[in-house]
Amino acid sequence: MTGLRTFLGRQLVPRLLRRNPALRIVGFDQRRPPGLDTRVVFHPIDLTEPGAQAELAERLASEGVEVLVHAAFRTDASAQLEFDRALETDGSLRVIDACVEARVTRFVLASSTMLYGPWPDNPNFLTEAHPLRGHPGAHAVANRIEVESLLADCAERTPDLEVTVLRSCWVLGPTFDDRVSRFLAQPVVPKLLGYDPLLQFIHEDDYLNAFERAAMESHPGVFNIVGRGVLPFATLLRLGDKRPLPLPSRLLYRMAYYPGPRRTGDPPTAFYDYLRHLWVADGARGWEEFGEPLYSTREAWVEFVSARRMRRAG
Amino acid sequence: MGSDVVEGPKGAPSRDSRGEVAVELRRALAGLRDDIRTRFPAERGETEPAVDLERLWDGARRRIGTLGMSEHSAEVDEFGMDDEVLRRVAPVLDFLLERYWRVALRGLENLPLSGPCLLVANRAGLVPYDGLMLAHALAREVPDAPRPRFLVADAGMRWPFVGATLAQLGGVRARPENAERLLASGRSLIAFPEGASGSAKAWRDRYRLQPFAHAGAIGLAHASGVPIVPVGIVGAEEAHPLMAKLEGPGRRVGLPFVPVTPTFPLLGVLGLLPLPSKWVIRIGEPFSLEHLEAGADEHVPSGANEALRARIEALVKRALADRESTWT
Repeated sequence: MTGLRTFLGRQLVPRLLRRNPALRIVGFDQRRPPGLDTRVVFHPIDLTEPGAQAELAERLASEGVEVLVHAAFRTDASAQLEFDRALETDGSLRVIDACVEARVTRFVLASSTMLYGPWPDNPNFLTEAHPLRGHPGAHAVANRIEVESLLADCAERTPDLEVTVLRSCWVLGPTFDDRVSRFLAQPVVPKLLGYDPLLQFIHEDDYLNAFERAAMESHPGVFNIVGRGVLPFATLLRLGDKRPLPLPSRLLYRMAYYPGPRRTGDPPTAFYDYLRHLWVADGARGWEEFGEPLYSTREAWVEFVSARRMRRAG
Repeated sequence: MGSDVVEGPKGAPSRDSRGEVAVELRRALAGLRDDIRTRFPAERGETEPAVDLERLWDGARRRIGTLGMSEHSAEVDEFGMDDEVLRRVAPVLDFLLERYWRVALRGLENLPLSGPCLLVANRAGLVPYDGLMLAHALAREVPDAPRPRFLVADAGMRWPFVGATLAQLGGVRARPENAERLLASGRSLIAFPEGASGSAKAWRDRYRLQPFAHAGAIGLAHASGVPIVPVGIVGAEEAHPLMAKLEGPGRRVGLPFVPVTPTFPLLGVLGLLPLPSKWVIRIGEPFSLEHLEAGADEHVPSGANEALRARIEALVKRALADRESTWT
């Protein structure tokens, strides 16, 4: 598994070990994550280095790795566009090539339904076959679209490599923490005046469950990993007892240019367009393959809101 | 936040500070009211104060808290239709249907008795009242069936407020994927294959059908195995008679054009109100797909589209004949 320090890495490894005590896990990341299970064989590796591919291939071969879960992506896009690109696109290419070299049998990629992009002409439900159009301003999304196409090319060239791509929507839950959940956790949430898109979420448990099954079982293909049901943004805020702060788009964009530490290097539209147009994915194939999610969009949201409220209350 | 306030049952999370403030304020207001009562005893017996401060505050608080969102229900269907909103606006829709436009619905007997169908209608008028009215009229006539949904051009769903409101009222953006999904789930669908050019018809062309911009209707119905029911709508064009299109100023505000009608922009915002024209909606006999069965599964002969267009145009003509005059 790559990206041990991401949410997926931190949560999936203990989960896998708990269910399958005999499982051998080899982990890769830049630095050793704190509190890593001693049963995990850890190799520090910097995917932004050109030499990483040979090193990774050697490790994979010597450890006899069969399944690789690739999650070495930034949880939040950073303002360092070049670093992000070196890690996500170039790094992923190195990982993919190393897997081919080391004859890994299965490759699981953590992807996102954000890759479809928020477009006013999207159908209400995007299936896995829909083109990945991304968002012109979102560099992290563009990076990951590139990764998916690289992986698809690679899968075509090497029929021995089984590829599973899990595109998840926004993840919510008591412990998952990223820019989106921090944004939604605010008591007063800015929204675009006059727009009220339908949103969907997946609970972190269901998200981890899909990855666990993808890692342990054979599920070749691309799957949308989303919760059941959709809710309009305004209804979500009301359910969460939050105040919407409707602002005209121009004003909101101008304000969003100055959020201090939250800077991503992208124009604000790269985030707010996801609250403006539809990008709901059709999860039918994912549900069929990985089982019915325990939480619907609504339940995931309610659980998230109440967990955050407890945390705030101390 | 608020962790130092111990109130309520043990173990429950303490109320957030907003709730505290509200309780405090209400208590203060009640105190003030009592104070006023004791200091200025009512002269002619006990009368209720003209303004109940407490109730006023409560109402205001609720208004501010939801900021116009109070009319939303907690559940919507997968396309964003909100039953609660529909229930609330039903009287308005009824008024428009019965009193304002006095919609005469003819040819109901042509509707398939059970199962979904694809209603294909002519598009006229700038605002998609026609889809809304037809959907509402059918929902009233056939209350047991799922409410028919109407397709709205992308441009309509893109505008702020309009898109969100139309979605709540049952509008669905016109994408083939959406249409397939709706028909497959057993809901009838109202399509306007003229597309956006239908709503931008000049006055002299108002009863004529534009070439179909979206030719997929027939293939779609065929693939989904539902009957096509042609519908002619007359009256929507007079609600917003389009005299001219100003494309230059339109582009500057992000619209394809700024419409000029007898009342707009002459009367300003008031000019946006539709005129009370008399409407006739005529439902035609289901359009036969039989000659399609002969092999062409994917490819729909263009003749079929032409035939459908002619059928709708004929229905519009008949509806015009039904109507004695434009306004009465």
